[in-house]
Amino acid sequence: MGRFVLRRLLHMAITFFAMITLMFFLFRMLPGDPTATVISPALDADARAAMQARFGLDRPLIEQYFVYLASLARLDFGLSFRTSRPVWELIELRLVNTLLLILPSMIAAYVIGAIGGALMAWYRGGRAEGSLVLAATALQSAPVFWLGMLAILVFSIWLDWFPTGHIVTPGRFPEPSWRMYLTLDFLHHLALPFLVNTLYNLCFPLLLMRSTMLSTIGEDYVELARMKGLRERQVLYGHAMRNSLLPLATTLPMILGWSVAGSVVIETVFSWPGLGLLMIEGITRSDYPVVQGAFLLIAVLTILGTFVADLLYGLLDPRIVYR
Amino acid sequence: MRTPVLEIDRLDLGYATRAGTAAALRDVSLSVAAGESVGIVGESGCGKSTLLKAVMGVMPPNATIETGAIRFMGTDLVTAGPEVWRRARWSGIAMIAQSALNALNPVKRVSAQIAEAIRAHEDWPRDKLRARIVELFEMVGVDPARIDDFPHQFSGGMRQRVLIAMALALRPPVLLADEPTTALDVIVQNQIFRRLDALRKELGFAMLLVTHDLGLVIENCERIVVMYGGMIVEAGPTAQVIGASGHPYTLGLYNALPRLGAGVEPISIPGRPPDLVAPPPGCRFAGRCPFAQPRCTTAPPLNRLGADHVARCHRSDEMAVLRPDARLAETWERGAPVPDTIDTGSIEGI
Ligand SMILES: Nc1ncnc2c1ncn2[C@@H]1O[C@H](COP(=O)(O)OP(=O)(O)OP(=O)(O)O)[C@@H](O)[C@H]1O
Ligand code: SF4
Ligand SMILES: [Mg+2]
Repeated sequence: MGRFVLRRLLHMAITFFAMITLMFFLFRMLPGDPTATVISPALDADARAAMQARFGLDRPLIEQYFVYLASLARLDFGLSFRTSRPVWELIELRLVNTLLLILPSMIAAYVIGAIGGALMAWYRGGRAEGSLVLAATALQSAPVFWLGMLAILVFSIWLDWFPTGHIVTPGRFPEPSWRMYLTLDFLHHLALPFLVNTLYNLCFPLLLMRSTMLSTIGEDYVELARMKGLRERQVLYGHAMRNSLLPLATTLPMILGWSVAGSVVIETVFSWPGLGLLMIEGITRSDYPVVQGAFLLIAVLTILGTFVADLLYGLLDPRIVYR
Repeated sequence: MRTPVLEIDRLDLGYATRAGTAAALRDVSLSVAAGESVGIVGESGCGKSTLLKAVMGVMPPNATIETGAIRFMGTDLVTAGPEVWRRARWSGIAMIAQSALNALNPVKRVSAQIAEAIRAHEDWPRDKLRARIVELFEMVGVDPARIDDFPHQFSGGMRQRVLIAMALALRPPVLLADEPTTALDVIVQNQIFRRLDALRKELGFAMLLVTHDLGLVIENCERIVVMYGGMIVEAGPTAQVIGASGHPYTLGLYNALPRLGAGVEPISIPGRPPDLVAPPPGCRFAGRCPFAQPRCTTAPPLNRLGADHVARCHRSDEMAVLRPDARLAETWERGAPVPDTIDTGSIEGI
């Protein structure tokens, strides 16, 4: 097991490195001179050269690459073109905001999806089950921005139960700070995007769990569990459901990537100041260091999640060989 | 006769299918005495597994016990309610399932799988549980150091032994074995049977062995039950059922047995088992029986041929005369003499 974890860590490091490299060169290849957004190209060449020198843009590309690596290691994401302040300062709270939205809703989606899907298969054939399958299938193919807007329309505008967006009531915290997470106001703002995100992420594990369970129920070991005189609950949770978790764990990395992408949309719809929204803002303002930083962290989150999912799978299935 | 531990009394079981109800068990009566070994034989699809699963009370959702009783130590499990039946499973009647390869849960240690069977019935402390599992492994001849292994770490033969160990965990008075060795090679198969027989003599449980291998039953069982198309067609002590068969189907099964060096070629029974949704009105074997007569379109009675020997055939009292004929391959190739008047009920052209 120790070696397995080490190998996975190595894999992760390689993926990480490849991703950073790819991103660095990708961003350099973007058309246009980044300094152009700060200094008008019409200004004199000297000022532009000075600017380029300040950001290190006059060095050879390969040297820029190593400088970039070195600064990343120090969590130095460079300076924002727009505010000239360190990108990390901007990103720090945004990262927390994104995590607070994604993590609880992923966990809720998987827990509800696994248990709900298992029960749907266990009590299959009922009318309630049929309509649930239909609803989940429909929900799964609905675009997430549409879902978000629908939720805002119904729960914020018509019913006025929840605010339409933002993380706290605007103006309550002139400077974003850690204290805002401790308020009811925060939870009130979190509720709707959390609900939409959970609902959106719920369908896949729910339907997958249901179909896996349907075949697991017919397995010989489930029948044997029953023959041993185990109570139905034990057969359901200890055998049928326990074994049906495996495909859920294998698909987790894929869903994680998908859900992170979905959260960019949700953050935009709900003006939730997370990494996704930061990235969108950065793009509209051509603030490349910010975009790159946000992009990088989103990728890191996905890679980390994949790593955790891999370990989880190793724990769930003793048959996989730890090499 | 010894007192019965298990009594199946006129059991009828049906499977709901799209085509209608399949009469998978009809009028099945069988009693098993303490410590006795009974073999159930019959072609694939004759209802052997269905019968054992019904006794365990673990049937597919589309199965219904229509009438009849399954008495364990005098209590009818069918009417006693699910909780009584649940308690009787494993502690009273344990089972070695048909496929050893898939019967163990792949993601759980075998010790945990045996322990949970025990704990479903008895509240034992951990060290007593583990001591019992070690003892069971020794009993079936698997290294006790491996109790905490996962199923995939064992060979097929060892998994089968683990399943036997699991079945004996609570010292059940009745052990059901559904083709316990079909997936294994002949040598391992023999080893396991010898071990099972030795354990039965040592522990004194009654065994109901299901197989389509008549030879295995002749070697291992005191009594034989022959099933055909969901019914018991003949039952009795091994010597009588084989030596003085009262049913053409039993004779046919015996002919089909390969015998080394005897100079006799095995003879198979042409045709296929009856359709259970619309079975033939009379004898279910009529469509394939070389001795069928017009009266065979009415249901034959269960004739008593000896103290404990019964056969369900109109002509069972004539068997002594028919037996020499039944040994000939031509007799069987000829098939049913009056195929047009006898509706086999089987689906043609599949
Ligand atoms: N769940 C089910 N629904 C409908 N029909 C079934 C079901 N299970 C079994 N049957 C049918 O019932 C009959 C008896 O099946 P069973 O499995 O008891 O046969 P078997 O004697 O154990 O055969 P084998 O030697 O192949 O194991 C077969 O015709 C089978 O097709
Ligand atoms: S009842 Fe008739 S058809 Fe059936 S086994 Fe006997 S002789 Fe053959
Ligand atoms: Mg069977």
